[in-house]
Amino acid sequence: MACFERVSPALREILTRIHRAERPLEVDHHVHEFGSVHYHVKHSVTDPVYTYLSVSTPLLSSQGLPISSHLPQHTLEMVNGIFPGVMEALVPPNEGYQLTLKLDISRIPRDGKASTKMISDIASVQSALVSTQLKEILRNVESREVGYGIYKPIKLMYHPREPFFVVKQPAKTTAIFPMRFKEKEDVIIATAFFQELMDVGSSEAFRKAPHCIWSPIPPAELRGEPIEDLSTNGGFLSFDITLRHVQGKKLEKTVWSLLNVYTFVKWHVKPLHDVGNEEGDDHRETRKKTKKVDGGCTNVRKWMRVSKKKILGRNLELGNKMKRIRSRIKIHCFSRLRRKWLRMPKFSPVTRYMKLE
Amino acid sequence: MANSLRLYLTCIRNTLEAALCLQNFPCQEVERHNKPEVELKTSPELLLNPVLICRNEAEKCLIETSINSLRISLKVKQADELENILTKKFLRFLSMRAEAFQVLRRKPVQGYDISFLITNYHCEDMQKQKLIEFIVQFMEDIDKEISELKLSVNTRGRLVATEFLKQFI
Repeated sequence: MACFERVSPALREILTRIHRAERPLEVDHHVHEFGSVHYHVKHSVTDPVYTYLSVSTPLLSSQGLPISSHLPQHTLEMVNGIFPGVMEALVPPNEGYQLTLKLDISRIPRDGKASTKMISDIASVQSALVSTQLKEILRNVESREVGYGIYKPIKLMYHPREPFFVVKQPAKTTAIFPMRFKEKEDVIIATAFFQELMDVGSSEAFRKAPHCIWSPIPPAELRGEPIEDLSTNGGFLSFDITLRHVQGKKLEKTVWSLLNVYTFVKWHVKPLHDVGNEEGDDHRETRKKTKKVDGGCTNVRKWMRVSKKKILGRNLELGNKMKRIRSRIKIHCFSRLRRKWLRMPKFSPVTRYMKLE
Repeated sequence: MANSLRLYLTCIRNTLEAALCLQNFPCQEVERHNKPEVELKTSPELLLNPVLICRNEAEKCLIETSINSLRISLKVKQADELENILTKKFLRFLSMRAEAFQVLRRKPVQGYDISFLITNYHCEDMQKQKLIEFIVQFMEDIDKEISELKLSVNTRGRLVATEFLKQFI
């Protein structure tokens, strides 16, 4: 499952710890991320040179293309080519995983920047796998023209509930994301967000970005698709990817962004829906950049400050009243009478008893 | 301030000044109980005619008075569905902290967004003019707060969209 950070923070931390340890460590960690990605890191004291990293990630499935649980050969070659000598993909991988890497941590340089970069690249192996799959599909699949100017869409799925479509045309590739939300409030917030996205996309500053369109009804490219794929409550978001967006290093960024569309939308919608809850670390940047709006509470605080004083005063008054009610009524000379006639007998606590014979 | 809003608030202020003449009145049904009669509505002789002040179809204010209590219910302007959600959430936030406000009702009256309940005890503890001033100020500020919230939602959406599209450049 894709997310913003290409690098897995937990995996990076574990590998950094193993790399910086003065003595060999016994490490056997299982890390689960995003519900479907699973890492297994193993480093043994008996074999201190090598660390074994196994990765299990949901593989991309699509209609019309063979689905395999094993990674294709070119993907393994790509992984081996990232850091030859440091990272090697084992064939076959460990049971239950798609990829097992043998890492020679000792070959990672000891100095700060280079080692951090290398460890980060190793910890982003899952995102590299996922991006490579999509790139291969986009590269190998030919555009399927079914009519004059009409091309058949390819349905891709990472998560069963979040499929998206890719329509390959000669001049461009269109990625279409059907949006579905569980709650009506999410739909309303997301609709406002999509309007903003279209506005920003059509501005001068972003004329080089892919053309972005949102429509509440299925676009023409999806004509003929099954009704269950076209029934949504959040509309359809489309991006037109041209040659400019897939040249050189931009291909990686474009593919990664397409994989993260649903996550970006949820990133905006969910915190607004849960107003009042603590926001997670992902929203730190937005919080820094957004002008501090007190969330409508500027006047609320003013109103509450005025009332709080009165509440405290009232509580104090109530307390004094209750004390007065509880205290005994004082009658003149009653105390002497009470001492003489109303003396309560003293009961000594039973500490011993006599045994009856 | 828009002319229509000023007239609307002036009308509400005048009505409140006339209606906020409350006195202590023990409950006629149950001994040694003292309840706000506007909530119970069991004795019609203790209730005054409710006054409905409408600014337009979307904004209105209902003032119900009785011998010992007064209930003010407000319907706030909501131009679109996003404002609808923001208003609901914001007023729910306030209603959950009704104790701090003292005069705020925890649940609004059916058909309205927020309700206040003022009793004779509040009138004894607080100044009548200040209470009226508070209600009127609240109505002025609530529109501003909702507009600010909507602006912040759109600003955040714009920022997220900018961050997303930057990756393609």
